[in-house]
Amino acid sequence: MATWLRNLIGPARAGRYLLAGAALLLAAPAAAQSAQASGCETCHKEHPLPALSAPARDFSATDVHRERGFTCVDCHGGDPNETDKVRAKAPATGFKGKPSGQSVIAVCTRCHSDATLMRKYAPKQRVDQGAEYATSVHGQQLAKGDTKVATCTSCHGAHGVRLVSDAKSPVYPVNVAATCTQCHADPERMKGYKLPDGSPLPTDQRAKYENSVHYAAMTQRDDLSAPTCNDCHGNHGAAPPGVGAVTNVCGTCHGVFATKFALSTHSQIFDKGCVECHSNHEIAKPTDALLGTDKSSLCVTCHSDGDNGFTAAAGMRAGIEKLKAAIDRSHALVATAENAGMAMDGQTLALREASNHLTLARTEMHAFEPKAVATVLQAGLGITAKVDAEGQAAMAEVSFRKTGLAVSLGAILLVVIALALKIRSLKPRE
Amino acid sequence: MTQQVFAWLDERLDLSGLRAFVAEKTVPKHRHSVWYYMGGITLFLVGVQVATGILLLLYYRPSAGEAFESVQFIVSQVQFGWLIRNVHAWSANLLILMAFVHLFSTFFLRAYRKPRELTWVTGVLLLFIMLGFGFSGYLLPWNELAFFATKVGTGSAGAVPLVGDFMVRFLRGGDDVTGATLTRFYGIHVAILPALTTVLLGAHLLFIQRQGMSVPPSVEKREKAGETISQEPFFPNYVLHDVMWWYVSLAVLAALALFLPWELGTKADAFASVPAGIRPEWYFLAMFQTLKLIPPHVFGLEGEMLGVLGFSAAAGLLLVMPFLDRHAADGRPSKVITAAGILAVIYLVVFTIYGYLAA
Repeated sequence: MATWLRNLIGPARAGRYLLAGAALLLAAPAAAQSAQASGCETCHKEHPLPALSAPARDFSATDVHRERGFTCVDCHGGDPNETDKVRAKAPATGFKGKPSGQSVIAVCTRCHSDATLMRKYAPKQRVDQGAEYATSVHGQQLAKGDTKVATCTSCHGAHGVRLVSDAKSPVYPVNVAATCTQCHADPERMKGYKLPDGSPLPTDQRAKYENSVHYAAMTQRDDLSAPTCNDCHGNHGAAPPGVGAVTNVCGTCHGVFATKFALSTHSQIFDKGCVECHSNHEIAKPTDALLGTDKSSLCVTCHSDGDNGFTAAAGMRAGIEKLKAAIDRSHALVATAENAGMAMDGQTLALREASNHLTLARTEMHAFEPKAVATVLQAGLGITAKVDAEGQAAMAEVSFRKTGLAVSLGAILLVVIALALKIRSLKPRE
Repeated sequence: MTQQVFAWLDERLDLSGLRAFVAEKTVPKHRHSVWYYMGGITLFLVGVQVATGILLLLYYRPSAGEAFESVQFIVSQVQFGWLIRNVHAWSANLLILMAFVHLFSTFFLRAYRKPRELTWVTGVLLLFIMLGFGFSGYLLPWNELAFFATKVGTGSAGAVPLVGDFMVRFLRGGDDVTGATLTRFYGIHVAILPALTTVLLGAHLLFIQRQGMSVPPSVEKREKAGETISQEPFFPNYVLHDVMWWYVSLAVLAALALFLPWELGTKADAFASVPAGIRPEWYFLAMFQTLKLIPPHVFGLEGEMLGVLGFSAAAGLLLVMPFLDRHAADGRPSKVITAAGILAVIYLVVFTIYGYLAA
């Protein structure tokens, strides 16, 4: 037994691993034999037509199905042991050729909808992709005979299929937008497709998404939980969130905002829910400027001077600005006191709590209920008022200390002068 | 009133001998006399440390869970707690600085020569104890920098041959710096070192009073040549001088405490990554920097071990200096030792500055 392995994991476990390793080595040639036995690859890899050789090469390079022992015939049918291509693809062999349209769905779901089979390979994987696909716009269009729509292989690839968790997979979170927009950003391909309101299906979603706060979170902060196309539209059951469903879609992550919005009058009025103010694909980082009665605010799009909404918007914005200013002032005071040597840790912590109230007020604002917002803001202002009082007391203490030092130094100086004079008056002894 | 109290005591204790000693005691007055006051200032700062240390004990809690918070409480909530803590921290640093100044002044004036060898030995031991006070006290606020610096500092003891591992465990109270180390350092800081200081300081002061102030060899030579060296009465002249310097020190301490409050930093977290710029207190910086510069292996020996042994040897030589410079008492101090002293001062200053800049 290798000494390094024994040292690393202990003698008993090392023994077990070595036995397992030996078993794998013995099994490996058999697996290789089974792959080599596929006559399909033997011919297709060397085929002069790239369309026929590329699939074989991709499949033999990296493919999750091949790694689990599946071969060409599992999807395409045919006889891999037959060297003659006509006999290999004879009808009796069940040869299917290149599946397309509904055939793709049938080929894939033959295994992926079989819970018993899937349990052997990926027990945690769902088996309802086929059913979901049938409910999607893609699935419905395909059922109508539209073969331009996406099927399984459009997104996952046909040969060289990788796990979703593989960063090179076309459906890995950071790659999803590019995969979807292979079709959706192609005006030619999207020609003729319409939105529920009858307008043409846009092709600028990706360009807009790449300007969004969600895309920035995913690509700049490496936050893989940030939403991409499938997080809002679904993947296998892909469809645009309909009217009334938008809030639920956004609320999947922004739960508190969705709850507050559901309580608001706007939830009854806004056809597109959150999208009315925040847009859909090009969602910018929200700022306080969206609220209020300035020209740049969104409220004035519908409200005008004199109506209740206008007054409420102006009031809520003014309240938020007031707390922001109070927090800034308190921070400056605390910093001054800290620079003067005072311990202000408690006040710094309190200001963090005041900032939390600012965030809470911005959240509460989604219910569009000025009184509720004012209550939260008032609590925040209470904190800043207390911090201000403590900051002023700290500055008064600094002043007291400086005065005390000046008095003490003055007294010490007087004593030193008196001592020096006294010493001078004393005669040294010879 | 004072006279009545003194008479009352005199009647019972017969203080005439002490009165005569004080009345008769004189201190030589020459151009190097100013160095005499360095010892006095150091003694004053020891007094400040004892007084402020006792006050800090009223609120300080020596456990990993409470130490940092208790110091935070002292500086932010306790009346004048900020002043006491800042004076304690600044006074500790000034004390070590003045102890070094006192050491080198007596070194270059050859005050250690016969018959004052024991005064020197007790003084050097007191300096080591002061460094021990600094090392143990640095950890007590249980902040991040002190935590990691103590980890490095105690770890260096591991380089001592044979007993290194034992020393590390003994200092830390375990394999790593933990709450057990804090409790241990606290005990060392407030009980063991003060007890040793009391004994050694008592002996040091007793020797000085018994033998009087040493005069530098150059002054002694003039005296032997027949020149009269002027003397000033110990009381009140010298004592008033001393007190004047103490007041100046007090003023400096008060100003430093207010304008440059000693930072508390953030609470130590054993699981946090080591912060950048980790370094010990300035008085260990020269040693720290030297250890960093020594290659891992020198002539087949471990570099760190060589460094620690080198410092231990230097400390040993310093302690027995009076017995090495045997001709100093005859007015022929060793030029080699003078040169070594100058080099030591240059080394300490340059490496301390280098350590600061490198960190």
